[in-house]
Amino acid sequence: MSNKVNRRDFLKIMGWGGVGATLAGCDLPTTVTLEEGKEEVVSYLVPEEYVIPGVGVWYASTCQQCPAGCGVHGRVREGRVLKLEGNPESPINAGTLCQMGQSALQAHYNPDRITQPLLRKNGSLAPVSWKEAMEALVHRVGPSAGVAGERIAWFTDSISGHQAVLLDALRKTMGSEDHYVYEAISQGVVRAVSRDMLGEAVPRLRFDKARAILSFGADFLGTWQSPVHNATQYAQFRSPPRGVLIQVEPNMSLTGANADLWVPIRPGTEGVLAMGIASVLANKHRKSLDRLPAGLQERIHGYDMDEVIRITGVSGNHIIKIASWLSERSPSLVLAGATAEGHEQGYEIVSAIMLLNVILGNVGETIESAGDFPFPQLVARSGDSRALLDFARALEEQRYDVVFFRGANPVYAAPKGLDLAGKLKGVGFKVALSMFQDETTLAADLVLPLRSPLEDWGTHVPAYQGTEAVISIQQPLMEPLYPETRGFGDILLSLLKMYQAPGYQDYADYYAYLRAAFTALPSVLKNGAGDEDFWVAALQKGVVKVPVGEGRLTVKVADIEVPQGGGESGLRLIPAARLGMWDGRHANIPWLQEAPDQITKVVWNSWAELHPRTARKLGVKTGDAVRITSPEGTIEANVYVYKGIHPDAIAVPMGQGHEAYGRYAKGRGVNPLKIIKPVTDAKTGELAAVATSVQVARTERKELFVKLGGSESQLGRKIVATVTADVFERTEGGA
Amino acid sequence: MSIPASLGGWVLALILGLFLGGAPSWAAKVPNAVPPDETYSGEYVEQPIEFPHDTHAAVNEINCLYCHTYARRSSVAGIPPTSKCMGCHSVIATDKPRIKKLTEYWEKRQPPPWKKVHDVPDFVHFTHEKHLQRFVFENEGMQVEDVAEVCAFCHGDVKSMTVAVKVRPLTMGFCRRCHEANEGPFDCWKCHK
Repeated sequence: MSNKVNRRDFLKIMGWGGVGATLAGCDLPTTVTLEEGKEEVVSYLVPEEYVIPGVGVWYASTCQQCPAGCGVHGRVREGRVLKLEGNPESPINAGTLCQMGQSALQAHYNPDRITQPLLRKNGSLAPVSWKEAMEALVHRVGPSAGVAGERIAWFTDSISGHQAVLLDALRKTMGSEDHYVYEAISQGVVRAVSRDMLGEAVPRLRFDKARAILSFGADFLGTWQSPVHNATQYAQFRSPPRGVLIQVEPNMSLTGANADLWVPIRPGTEGVLAMGIASVLANKHRKSLDRLPAGLQERIHGYDMDEVIRITGVSGNHIIKIASWLSERSPSLVLAGATAEGHEQGYEIVSAIMLLNVILGNVGETIESAGDFPFPQLVARSGDSRALLDFARALEEQRYDVVFFRGANPVYAAPKGLDLAGKLKGVGFKVALSMFQDETTLAADLVLPLRSPLEDWGTHVPAYQGTEAVISIQQPLMEPLYPETRGFGDILLSLLKMYQAPGYQDYADYYAYLRAAFTALPSVLKNGAGDEDFWVAALQKGVVKVPVGEGRLTVKVADIEVPQGGGESGLRLIPAARLGMWDGRHANIPWLQEAPDQITKVVWNSWAELHPRTARKLGVKTGDAVRITSPEGTIEANVYVYKGIHPDAIAVPMGQGHEAYGRYAKGRGVNPLKIIKPVTDAKTGELAAVATSVQVARTERKELFVKLGGSESQLGRKIVATVTADVFERTEGGA
Repeated sequence: MSIPASLGGWVLALILGLFLGGAPSWAAKVPNAVPPDETYSGEYVEQPIEFPHDTHAAVNEINCLYCHTYARRSSVAGIPPTSKCMGCHSVIATDKPRIKKLTEYWEKRQPPPWKKVHDVPDFVHFTHEKHLQRFVFENEGMQVEDVAEVCAFCHGDVKSMTVAVKVRPLTMGFCRRCHEANEGPFDCWKCHK
């Protein structure tokens, strides 16, 4: 080089120059306004003894971001909750918390919260006082409104604890028999199969005891059952002697990305592969099929492996490898998830998968009874997707005059084919208990603004209990931000009073009800403590441990006919669930929108995953927009070309494509649930979410497609570039 | 020279001290410290009540930490809760106009909306607690009765003011030079975390 400044010196000069510039700037007037007397600083009138301004106090509560029910600790400073962490006392999350839990703060402080009741007047929702809102409610639904009880329905998300007790009491008083409990992300089919085959819908899983896990699309680290609990168990599973994880699914999930062996499978053929593996286990590894019905035994023994390979697209080597891992590494654990259950014969597919646990002797080893929870009235009413279809059918029959909504957003989640928004117009009076103006809330006639979960009281009994059964307590972490919002329990209680239900008149509020309910708990839970001490300890810990009755799993395998799958032309559309947007309920949380997707690293948008081979056939590259057409409708999304998907599938994430739901969610991306066919699993009635074939065509449209990272492959390079000592001597050090 | 080096240092300091006509009062009262000497002339800020720091701290010799009790425990010194004011002023000087105004606030159950005078940007983590530890509670030879001398490092001679006025620049350069002189931590992330 002609001048004497080499790269290294250049960097040094730049570095010192930068520091110099920074330090010289230290005395310049700051660009941040810190003028004296512009801000107010208000003291406490009378401080609480334990409060020190500037020092946080941590309180225990329960996370409400998904139905898993993790315990949280919230840091409260100067009356504001500022940070959430996991509660170490909770046997579900044991001190850890996922990104959705951390982001509960942004739901709480969200600028789009509803701050006062809204009533439909002349076609649009207008703010009204609580007095007016309750008068409207009494007028339309009250005891003297003349509405028959069976014409009133409730549509909620999963609900448990004392809120469920109050809701049951209210429904009984109203005479309302129908309570739809809806979750788009549920394990409805898996629960049904477990109940039929093992005698328990939600048995306890011991990831920590398993030496191999075979998961058919169960994204247990992301969206399956109790992700945070599973993750802590998974860490034990992965500590020496390290367990082997095999993930079989059409599109890669977070769990799939962590697997030792990730096997892409043609959507809907998971049952065939399970039968193939069973056949290898029986024929090659001499596993006993004694507990299976004779017909099934015979079919497994005679299963045609060439057919399995042809139908599933999984190589024979992989099948043999999976079978020998499972056979050698006992006990193992075989799981089924969303991509296995979302078919018209999902029940049979999941049964074939669960069968492997029986053949491998995992029942009683890695699958245990969760025991009998002694308070059935508090147990979770877990949502499923069947609720949505049943509800649509009931609306079709015009069975309701009044519907109450809480938590769930069926108008957003329902496939176009159900025409839920249209059918809801036939319901005379719709009441939404809601924090946000989501699609369902906007369709309501009366909106009652809810407090955020961080401002409200409650108790929760999660459907999947961790290592021990608990009642998890939700206590307010701060005063309500908006005085005109009310707690869910408080609204239920005031409705009970309105109906003059006996036994509820004396409770001033839901807090008083909970205090009384805790006093009434049997003394075995209180460890000899007085009622006051028990309550204080429960609030402090956030959980009350509940001894459960002894339970036993009883294996009963029915004969099943496994569907062969395939047949339809086009690509199979997979609405992919992710820990983040979840079912769409978190689309209004900027932290989660800006958190890069775990697989594609895309932010603030939707995308369509395509296999490179499929993309080549269509002539599209990453970033190109494609039109995805099903018999139900069309969506457009940018393509993400990726090897982590089966060539016969196209995956679009769930959660975006809101038409309302506030400034962060509205008009962003697309909702794949809208264009799926409203078909069901025949046995359980669950929505068959992965059963829709679509036509994909390229468009000329190009849209800004923001993602972190340029390439998902390391292109053969090492993570850290290194050179050997003698190469270094020759090139750098020898000068 | 036959005088040992350490002793020589003392002699030098003594001579210098005599030459300069005695150190300022804080030098004697805050050992192991080099106080900052930069100044800033802040505006007089109109407060809801013209609180007389001079009456409290100079005339009645009330320790700063009696009212700003959180300074030793927290990042913020804390404006004293209104209940603390009323602890004395429900009986003392109840006929004075400023106390009458205070009593009005108290009876309305509202703390007075004081205006902020001293502040640093949100990206600066300043903590009173650590500074008081260094200069008062973990400072050998320091008397807690003289804490006002330490407060004065950043807040000036509040004893001579009514309501507080900003008399130090409180810029990063100001912080940095004081940290340099007093061997305070110098990592970026100590303050910018």
